[in-house]
Amino acid sequence: MGLRTTRIRGLLGRWAATALLGLPALVGCGPAGNVVTELGTTGGTPVEGGTATMALPPASTPNWIFPIGAPGYLATYNSAIQDLLFLRLFTPGQKGDALTMDSPRNLAEMPRYSDHNTTVSITLKKGYAWSDGTPVTTRDVKFWFDLIKDNKREWAGYSPKLMPDDVKEFETVDDRTFRLRLDRAYNPTWFTANELQDFVALPVHAWNPRGESPRRAFARLMRHAKQFSRFATDPLWKTVDGPWRIEKWTTSGQVSLVPNRAYRGPDKPRLDRVVLKPFTTADSEFNVLRAGGVDYGYLPPAVMAQSRQFKERGYRIDPWEGWAVTYIVLNFHHPTVGALLRQDYLRQALQHLIDQKGISRVIWHGSAAPTRGPVPAGLLDDEPYPYDPGRARALLAGHGWAERDGTLRCVRPGPGTDRCGAGVRGGQELRLSLLSQSGSTETSNTMQAVKSDFAKAGIVLDVRQQPLNTVLGTTVPCERTEPLCAQWQLGFFGTQGSWYFPPDPSGEKIFASHAPSNMGSWSDPETDRLIRATEYSAEPAALRDYGRTVARRLPVLWTPNPAYQVSAIRNDLRGVDQNPTLSLAPQNWYYVKKGGAGR
Amino acid sequence: MIRFLAKRLTQALVVLLLVSVLVFVLLHLLPGGPARAILGVQATPDAVAHFNHQQGYDRSLPEQYVSYLGRLLTGDLGESYKLNQSVASLLAERLPKTALLAGLALALAAVVAVPLGVLQAVRRGRAADYLLTGVAFLAYATPVFFLGLVLILVFGQQLQLLPAEAPQADTVGGILAQAPALVLPVVTAALGIVAAFSRYLRSAVLDNLAEDYVRTARAKGQSDARIMARHVLRNALIPLATLLGLYLPTLFSGTLVVESMFNYPGMGLLFWNAAQSSDFPVLLGVTLVVGVATVLGSLLADLAYALLDPRIRSVT
Repeated sequence: MGLRTTRIRGLLGRWAATALLGLPALVGCGPAGNVVTELGTTGGTPVEGGTATMALPPASTPNWIFPIGAPGYLATYNSAIQDLLFLRLFTPGQKGDALTMDSPRNLAEMPRYSDHNTTVSITLKKGYAWSDGTPVTTRDVKFWFDLIKDNKREWAGYSPKLMPDDVKEFETVDDRTFRLRLDRAYNPTWFTANELQDFVALPVHAWNPRGESPRRAFARLMRHAKQFSRFATDPLWKTVDGPWRIEKWTTSGQVSLVPNRAYRGPDKPRLDRVVLKPFTTADSEFNVLRAGGVDYGYLPPAVMAQSRQFKERGYRIDPWEGWAVTYIVLNFHHPTVGALLRQDYLRQALQHLIDQKGISRVIWHGSAAPTRGPVPAGLLDDEPYPYDPGRARALLAGHGWAERDGTLRCVRPGPGTDRCGAGVRGGQELRLSLLSQSGSTETSNTMQAVKSDFAKAGIVLDVRQQPLNTVLGTTVPCERTEPLCAQWQLGFFGTQGSWYFPPDPSGEKIFASHAPSNMGSWSDPETDRLIRATEYSAEPAALRDYGRTVARRLPVLWTPNPAYQVSAIRNDLRGVDQNPTLSLAPQNWYYVKKGGAGR
Repeated sequence: MIRFLAKRLTQALVVLLLVSVLVFVLLHLLPGGPARAILGVQATPDAVAHFNHQQGYDRSLPEQYVSYLGRLLTGDLGESYKLNQSVASLLAERLPKTALLAGLALALAAVVAVPLGVLQAVRRGRAADYLLTGVAFLAYATPVFFLGLVLILVFGQQLQLLPAEAPQADTVGGILAQAPALVLPVVTAALGIVAAFSRYLRSAVLDNLAEDYVRTARAKGQSDARIMARHVLRNALIPLATLLGLYLPTLFSGTLVVESMFNYPGMGLLFWNAAQSSDFPVLLGVTLVVGVATVLGSLLADLAYALLDPRIRSVT
């Protein structure tokens, strides 16, 4: 399994590199093609029809259908379902071995940038229509844009200065073409991947027939969106342009989708029905999976050792790697240890003490892999600070730390190349506290492994575990004088990955100074400059430069990145693409034998 | 009797009010608050502030409580942050499910435990008593999650006689229509109660068999079966009625493990998931229901006691 995981990660790396840096796609030159064939994810003689039941993540209830997500309803499963009903103009997709925004599922042709990248023109593809036969036009896109522009605070996807703030004007050219005048020049790759991916066409003729103002229309649509029990029956949600339509949506969260026979795209569904089934816990899903109750489920990492039993029962095991990184957050503003954490040598020593490869192999049973930096691994060198306790001890000793009465203390305080560093007191103990999320055996074991390895260099790590929501609510950006800032030093909330990249994995939301998800308040002019370059310049190497620099600067401590889930898929269910952006494309699924189709 | 009832209802209301104050304060003392848990790591400070303002969390705690109480009096339990449903509709959806599971488990437990307890008492000190006592202790000591897992492995996966998953219908009628799927969850929830009830009943029957009225009945020539049915059992069941009332709230929250194992989204899981995501309105709503169930259970136990035992009625 370790080898397979490595192969998958290699594939992801190539996707990232080829898609984002414009390098030629590495079609057919790696082992990935062989791996896919061996696993039987495609091929076989398709049988039309059948029902596929897919297990949703534990305690996940799809509960939002309106493609404009309200705060709190941005869950992956919600957007995955919306994307099957309402087509996005641009969606990340696989082309050969590359991840690209030029997906055949797009509703629009690739955008054209002009006026020194301050104007972007977009043309909708020909022939697309709503399920009631009305053609999809630029009016439908304008409707979406007006809704988010006039109600941006109610839209969960809003970040100040980004969409829609960065669009000065939406200019309709004709029924199929529109133009966006931007507030400045942007990197086209970044703008297409991270800003245009939000664009979706909404049926204005059905949703706003009286031409209400965007505010009134939005309020009315939100009222419908709050009527969860009526999602399957409300006529509003029956007008779709995607490959699927809703057959059933229960209040317990089970969603049945059936093909939209009026769909005009290239990827028409082959199955009769797809059922997305909610589970109370991972254990209940595992019990049902063992009894053969789902066609596409998942295994807890702890039972990876039993994967052979599932293979014998006709399932293939396939880790679903999310496009994510995982890390321990450092609170640079903490009143007592903030000064310590700001020392480069100390962060390097801490990183040298995290055995990412060992943890991935032993604790995660091969379903995790080392995180190398803030962008997908394909853009980075190998781990810049590999596991090396000896090197960590040397770094600490070389900067004025020595053992006194069994405790590692600063014996040479003050700034200077061989001293503890500015703000570190003489005699200060090297003791840190880590607030980690609870509820996962693998995470608990990882934290104990880190604690044990820190101790090898004399560093004391106190690990506290709390539920995820407590950790998320505590490890927030703070100022030194705020009481909350003293409540956490190091934080971990990455059992399912700490950060999922947007299609262009730039860092404006995570490592830029004052970024909303910059939990540790990392602030570095060099990082800010490199992030700005990824957003604004058209320089292809900008993302690689940002990734490599931040990987070495260590604004966080990189830890093994777990798979989104370890999937168990019936062998006769083919065409399942476990996209790293976690989207679903059941229109490509099919059974290859009568037994499967007859379900 | 009416005075007794009125007194107990007043006490119940005071208890409920105190429970709601306690839970409200404790929830709001939790570190972090719900905003980040609901909005996720990508939320901007502006979005967090907007959420807190919308929910009224930027007001003082007493203000928030009074506002909550005001809404409660009009029957408005609020909206779940995570589930896109009103708390009232969530409770209306989940409560019957848990009530059905708990009710069936209690009924099964009572039906099985009564004859077992009587048999053990009648056969006291004999092989059947030792055997059943051993089995009862084993059942009582077996964790519910382990028992459920064993049942799933044996009946759901090896023998494939029963589904490994509870019924997935949304209505009680739909759930009952899938009766075979109810067997494993109900048995899992009931087995521990059977053990407890049978042990209680064994002791109660033994106590009553030693009473003077039993000797008198025997002296009057009544058969053992009649003595047991008409005299001993009626008295021995009185503590069981109390026990049933006290088990009611425990079952509402205690079915959590069964709901979790058998994919049966009921009240226990609703509370657990709400606690994981700091969904305060749901937590308060479920607490209220469990509080009502506790008070109601205790009230029913008292009433049953009074009805079954004329001595209690005459005192009250």
